[in-house]
Amino acid sequence: MILVKDISKQYGDFTALENINLEFTNGLYGLLAPNGAGKTTLIKMLATLIAPSKGEILYNGKNIVAMDEDYRSLLGYLPQQFGFYKNYTPKQYLLYLAALKGIGKKEALDKIDDLLEKVALREVTNKKMKKFSGGMIQRVGIAQSLLNDPKILILDEPTAGLDPKERARFRHLLTELARERLVIVSTHIVSDVETIANEIIMIKNRQLLYKDSVERICATLDGHVYETTIPYEQLETYRRQFVLLSEKQERGSMVIRFIHKGEAEANWLPLAPQLEDVFLYEYRDDIGEEV
Amino acid sequence: MAMRIVWHECQKAFKSPILIGLLLLFTAFNVFVIVDNSYFKEELKIANQLVEKYGRKITDESLLQFEKDLQDDLTALKEITGQEYQSVYDFLETLTFEDQNRYSEQEWRFIEQLQLKEMYFSMANDIDASYAKIDIQKVAEGTIAQSRLSGNAEKTLLREYEKFSQRFEEMKQNGEHKEWFFAGKAYFMHSFLFKTVFLHIVIESLMLIILSTALITNYEFENRTQLVTYGTTRGRRLMKDKLGASVAMAALLTTFILVATLSTYFIVYDYSNVWGTSINSAFNWEYNFPNIAWWNLSIGQFLSGTIAIVFITMLLYSGLTFTLTTFVKNSYIAAILMATFFVLALLIPGFMPTSSNLLFITSYSLSLLVLNTASSFMGSSGLIMFKNFEWMTTVCWTMITFVLCIFSLKWFHKKDIQ
Repeated sequence: MILVKDISKQYGDFTALENINLEFTNGLYGLLAPNGAGKTTLIKMLATLIAPSKGEILYNGKNIVAMDEDYRSLLGYLPQQFGFYKNYTPKQYLLYLAALKGIGKKEALDKIDDLLEKVALREVTNKKMKKFSGGMIQRVGIAQSLLNDPKILILDEPTAGLDPKERARFRHLLTELARERLVIVSTHIVSDVETIANEIIMIKNRQLLYKDSVERICATLDGHVYETTIPYEQLETYRRQFVLLSEKQERGSMVIRFIHKGEAEANWLPLAPQLEDVFLYEYRDDIGEEV
Repeated sequence: MAMRIVWHECQKAFKSPILIGLLLLFTAFNVFVIVDNSYFKEELKIANQLVEKYGRKITDESLLQFEKDLQDDLTALKEITGQEYQSVYDFLETLTFEDQNRYSEQEWRFIEQLQLKEMYFSMANDIDASYAKIDIQKVAEGTIAQSRLSGNAEKTLLREYEKFSQRFEEMKQNGEHKEWFFAGKAYFMHSFLFKTVFLHIVIESLMLIILSTALITNYEFENRTQLVTYGTTRGRRLMKDKLGASVAMAALLTTFILVATLSTYFIVYDYSNVWGTSINSAFNWEYNFPNIAWWNLSIGQFLSGTIAIVFITMLLYSGLTFTLTTFVKNSYIAAILMATFFVLALLIPGFMPTSSNLLFITSYSLSLLVLNTASSFMGSSGLIMFKNFEWMTTVCWTMITFVLCIFSLKWFHKKDIQ
């Protein structure tokens, strides 16, 4: 179990995170926030790459910085920008990373074959990575994070560069992995975690906003999400007055989905809130006094 | 496991085309420099023959025997030329251009050999007289005047010259200077090997080592893989492996250049019989003052000592580059800063007051140590003539490098990795 205890991170005068308290047990956690909200800072602290300015992170009651190698041997980590050696093949690179993870060469070779199969890269095992697409590189990254069969798997924006088919395949893989380990997936794409996460963590204004199940987070907007059809000319007025979640053209009119926390009008159709609605609502830009 | 990681880190340098290209280019250049200077290599065989025939030490008996043999050779010259000469030089002085075709190639070879033998004989006979003229006190005064030393600096140097004076007398008594070696004033073999060739070895090794150390140390940051690698079980301890790999690569690169260059040198120039000759041999006297070491070192020992100095210094430079590269994340900037450090170390003594011992203390630098290999272990090396110069410089800088490496590793251990 990981316990994030009252941590803050400051860079000079800039505060990246403030008094964050979290608790992780087994299962899949979606760390959902827009870019720049501090997700990567939190993840880097969980990976011991940066130290908190205040507070501590505990694994089974022990400080992860003090645990050092013992903690990181349990960890699989895919950073947001997965760097690689251009002139290495996936096999060479994974062999190197396996050595850094303390895995013997023979064991690593078997493991690498398995993992490259799992991420559908078996056929390019010995091809130099400089010729790989972004999606292929990301899959090498996923494979490396699983090399040591980690108890804690932390993935920072893992679906960046993956096409829809690869995303779906990746979600299946995550569901499978989260059955027996703690998986933390940081993303700003709601669909990546909406259907598979046991809990969603949202950070806003450097502080923890939600840490709850998708259902309970969605329930915060129960009765406030509507859909209606309006003439195109009224669109600007609605944009100013409400938090618009989606807009689409249909037979010369506009079908809009929006949030309103007051009295509903007759022609508004109430809808069940989705996680995306909460995300858009919580991280909305300044849109006026309404709501 | 650590060894496997070190090997992986070394591979990064092996796979660098710039590094490998430079290594081959430098080696080829050294071979060219050695071969290009080898037009007199046949003449060097005479010194080897003299050792073989008369023994390494020059004694009154061996010189007498040498003289007798020279007389026999002059008799043989008479048979060739039909005229009696006191010296082959008398014959050569009377020689006209037309006469050259009168003698066969074999006869000319004999005449040339005889000329060389007479040169060595004459030099051997002059040794005592030449060394009797040397007054170490005057040498000390000359050095002090030339460097405008005063105060403590003057006192320190005078004290060292006093010790050196005793050593000079001891050296003469031991007869260390009376051993056969290649004629220094004719061939300058000591300078060629320990100044020219070793200068190439040092500068080239240094360039390669700075580049390879910076490459290995900064590899993750330059390839943006730092988050992956330092987030593994090994974590920031990877930096220790990188230090190990940098030092191993420094050893490997220096060894490669040393072996390739010195093998070529000793294949081209025959040293087979002079390895045991003292470095203090009068024949090794090239310029105004003979080479006189603080110890009775043979050519082989002096070469081994020089190799050891170069080797250790290169490892220390690797450690220093590692420290710098921990803080400077760009390999090329780190390389330029290291080159600046190297040059600054040479210049700093020049800015010291000539009355202070700081002048000598700042001279105990790796740059001066490694650029003056021809004067290593010598008491005849001006302001760095101190008996403890080599070991003191090496030990002090080993400690400095060690402390700096520990400090940079500790700093990196606490550093946020972005």
